[in-house]
Amino acid sequence: MFYITVKKWSLKMGRLSLFVIVLLLLPLGQALAHNVTVFAWVEGDTVHVESKFSGGRRPVAAPVEIYDTRGDLLLKGVTDEKGEFSFKVPKKTGMKVVLLAGMGHKGEWTIPLSDLEAVGTETTAQAEEAYTPSSISTDSHQADAALLPEGGNPVPAGYVTAAEIRKAVEAALDTKLKPVMKLLVETRRSGPSVTDILGGLGYIFGLIGVAAYFSAKRRKS
Amino acid sequence: MHISEGVLSAPVLVSGGALAAAGTAVGLKKIDYDHLARVGILSATFFVASLVHVPIGPSSVHLIMNGIVGLLLGWAAFPAILVALLLQAVFFQFGGITTLGVNTIIMALPAVICYYLFAPLLHKDRKYLLLAGFGCGFCAVLLGGVIVGLALMFTEENFLKVAMLVVTAHIPVMIIEGIVTAFCVAFLKKVQPAMLP
Repeated sequence: MFYITVKKWSLKMGRLSLFVIVLLLLPLGQALAHNVTVFAWVEGDTVHVESKFSGGRRPVAAPVEIYDTRGDLLLKGVTDEKGEFSFKVPKKTGMKVVLLAGMGHKGEWTIPLSDLEAVGTETTAQAEEAYTPSSISTDSHQADAALLPEGGNPVPAGYVTAAEIRKAVEAALDTKLKPVMKLLVETRRSGPSVTDILGGLGYIFGLIGVAAYFSAKRRKS
Repeated sequence: MHISEGVLSAPVLVSGGALAAAGTAVGLKKIDYDHLARVGILSATFFVASLVHVPIGPSSVHLIMNGIVGLLLGWAAFPAILVALLLQAVFFQFGGITTLGVNTIIMALPAVICYYLFAPLLHKDRKYLLLAGFGCGFCAVLLGGVIVGLALMFTEENFLKVAMLVVTAHIPVMIIEGIVTAFCVAFLKKVQPAMLP
């Protein structure tokens, strides 16, 4: 009689635990989720912003806000149907890209000032064409002594200035690096891995173990 | 349904945290030795449920499973969901550490409300059982959406607009969770009726 009850009970428990295991393993096949990631990079004088939910879907028409290092709003925009947004660098400063994907979803990406070195070169190069060297040196915003031709003197025709070389190299590098950047965007954190999931489950069961230990100790005493 | 860091204002975060702490304290009081394993299993279920992505609807939504967690745990849903949310924040970057309290309220409070609403119906006949299971799964997500709207109301977004947006985005999830919860309840009634409240 006792044996039968135990057998019946263990059969029940077996079915129950099978059910629980199925419930727990259900999502492993489609490790998809929903926090939103933002990735921005500088190409010439343009900043490209890419965003996606970690399930792989793109936030469409989500507002993007660009802040400078002091937290002032520089410009606003919205993502297109591919979750992308591009803008011309408004000011040579470190920038923070904030994507508001709605319903409490928010992603951020910081562009350090060092990423914008090329922009400075370009603006200076343009300035060089437009103004005389003296006007550049008074322009405190763009003046960057290192980027000017030697001594700030006009360069004779036919010579290539350091700034021009820099600009050409930057342009060439941008085209070369474009696929690499794309690849980086694609591979960046596409969602939690199986290790993460199993790690979390391990924590939960471990905590229950600890709780059971103390609970049992208290019951005994 | 997880609210990210830096979206909410400090008073909302603090009051969310305080409410979640109170709920968790009540929940911990109610857990006894015999129910520990159940709390763990349901916490784990909640933890992984958020990885099941539902590819319908305007935004990115996933299963929540707070209905079944609440129905089977009652107040113990608070500590179970708090732990699972903490681990989701750490491992998956869902939500965040500062929004942990608010997110716990968003998902655990509807769980407890649904426990009180639907648990008494489980002892009626089979027709009511399935209906109660479906309603529990459905309403837990619905109420969660309403609380998200409430939480975001205190920032610049409009309550009704956000609540409607969240709720409409989660309609597929509500239906799926309703069905899954009804199935779970029916299964447990057959196999392990002692587990039902």
